[in-house]
Amino acid sequence: MSMMTEPVEAQQIMLAAMAGAMVVLFGAVYAFLFAWSKLHKRPVIMLAAYLSYLCLAAATVALAFALHLSGFWLIVVFVMLVGYLLAPHAIWHLCEGTHEPSTPHGTDEITSQPIPLEIKQ
Amino acid sequence: MAHAVDTTFPDTIPRGKLNTRDLNAGQRLAVKYFSVAMLLFIAQILFGLLAGLQYLWPDFLYNKLDFNVNRMVHINAMIIWMLYGFIGSIYWLVEDEAGTELVGAKLGNLAFWVLTAAVTVVVAVFLLVQTGPGEHQSIWLINEGREYIEAPRWADFGIVAVVLVFFYNTAATFMKGRWSGISGVLVLDLIALAGLYLAGMFYSSNISMDQHWWWWVIHLWVEATWEVLVGCIMAWGLIKTLGARRKIVTTWLYIEVALMFGSGILGLGHHYFWIGTPEYWLSIGGFFSALEPIPLVAMVVHAVYDSGVHRFKNSNHPALAWLIAHAFGNFFGAGVWGFMHTLPQINLYTHGTQWTASHGHLAFFGAYATINIAMFYIAIQKWRGGVFMGSGIPHAWRWKWALALLNIGVLGMTMALLISGYEQSFVERALHGSTWAGYFEAQRSDWFVQGMVWRQIFGYVTAAGLVLLVWDLITIGKGETRPAEEPTATTVINSNETLQPSSA
Repeated sequence: MSMMTEPVEAQQIMLAAMAGAMVVLFGAVYAFLFAWSKLHKRPVIMLAAYLSYLCLAAATVALAFALHLSGFWLIVVFVMLVGYLLAPHAIWHLCEGTHEPSTPHGTDEITSQPIPLEIKQ
Repeated sequence: MAHAVDTTFPDTIPRGKLNTRDLNAGQRLAVKYFSVAMLLFIAQILFGLLAGLQYLWPDFLYNKLDFNVNRMVHINAMIIWMLYGFIGSIYWLVEDEAGTELVGAKLGNLAFWVLTAAVTVVVAVFLLVQTGPGEHQSIWLINEGREYIEAPRWADFGIVAVVLVFFYNTAATFMKGRWSGISGVLVLDLIALAGLYLAGMFYSSNISMDQHWWWWVIHLWVEATWEVLVGCIMAWGLIKTLGARRKIVTTWLYIEVALMFGSGILGLGHHYFWIGTPEYWLSIGGFFSALEPIPLVAMVVHAVYDSGVHRFKNSNHPALAWLIAHAFGNFFGAGVWGFMHTLPQINLYTHGTQWTASHGHLAFFGAYATINIAMFYIAIQKWRGGVFMGSGIPHAWRWKWALALLNIGVLGMTMALLISGYEQSFVERALHGSTWAGYFEAQRSDWFVQGMVWRQIFGYVTAAGLVLLVWDLITIGKGETRPAEEPTATTVINSNETLQPSSA
């Protein structure tokens, strides 16, 4: 496994940095549009979400290219792309599960009532 | 239009005037911490402006107030005001969350005065006694020499003692009262907050080893314990300002903590790239730094879900605006600006340049300053007797302009420093291989200098925002007689159907 020690070429510092920033930015845009589309049941927005994901994938490929990634690190890149694709689905599922209506806010999950301190002589 | 009155503020409390008598013991202590935090925030900006000017005019205040001193006070004031803000925030919420009186209020009060006296002495020594060689005696009495935590050794012991008192006050109050998800996470985090500081207190003549432990304080405080502390404050703040349900907030706090610890602890590796540690830290740091944006993606989906499914009505507009600024600031400052240069192949060029300063400015402001300011507004609302702070409060332009100027100022400084940082990385590191000649050539280059000029201009914008913020915090709610609105959340199944209104 390579140790990520080969530096970016001087001409590609900006490309590498911007690609890194775009990975996070498009990751957020994809997550935002995905959730927005699910919330308002608008398939057109879902299309825009997946376009954002394609931009994220392009930024990731650019980053991998600029960083001279190979072998194990390319597998990490692939796993990261799959993770970014599936994460909003999983988080949405989790949101639906945790937002089931129950008790009014501020009253649930308080595990015990005030207990006076007792000093044993 | 009539609105529901928040019953946590009884009608018997006079409104519109500062009323310390009706605050609980924890909140009275919190107000002291918040007041000193604001003074240190002002000091941070003032010394930052002086240090910025010295980039443009290196002779400015030379041998009177040197750049190294200004920069040191600028950064230390920031760390300490944020710490004051966090401690104040926890004291503010502890009685409410535990449902009982603060344990050890007198001890907490004593600790506050000890810490404040120690900070005053340390700053005075920084400003007046910064000459001569560094030796064992100066480590104990003048300056420990570790960047960002320069306080001398005697003050280190004081800081740990005060944090332990703070831990005792908080944990004992929850033990006397009741536990919740928020308090459980909070108390465990405070153990780490006090414990990790010890890693920066022992001395090794091996610089790599010294730096290894020093980063435990800097990285693990900032990217682990502080983030969790802020998560707890945010969770409580959302319940109080938006009426968010405790179960949901707590569940997400657990998820956030798990994701943060999963990526943030070993993300420490991105500070170990160039300090003489073994090469495997390049892989560990690179891999776990790449995982750090994951909690941010989760945050985006959840925020959209919440805003659509719950029609929130908030009780404190300025506080909510600063909480929103916190979410965006954390995402851009820590997430986008962090991942931009955290991988070792890029970090080789950017480490310790103005690029790092660009990331630091946006990340600290976005992740920590914003949430402290939100807590100041939550506190002032109650301190003035639980006054109305919703839509249409008098002189609302002040808090809106303070919010705008502070955010524009910091964002402007961030972009300007990024330009200077890129030039510095390219000329000094890539072209000249980190030589002295390369360093000076980069410092003289047009793009670098222009970036520093714009940084200074946006520094003045930030200072103007701070002046407005102080003015607003002093005057907001003055003479207001309307009671605070009750935060409410209405659950909606789809865009047409309301399911369940819920309220405090």
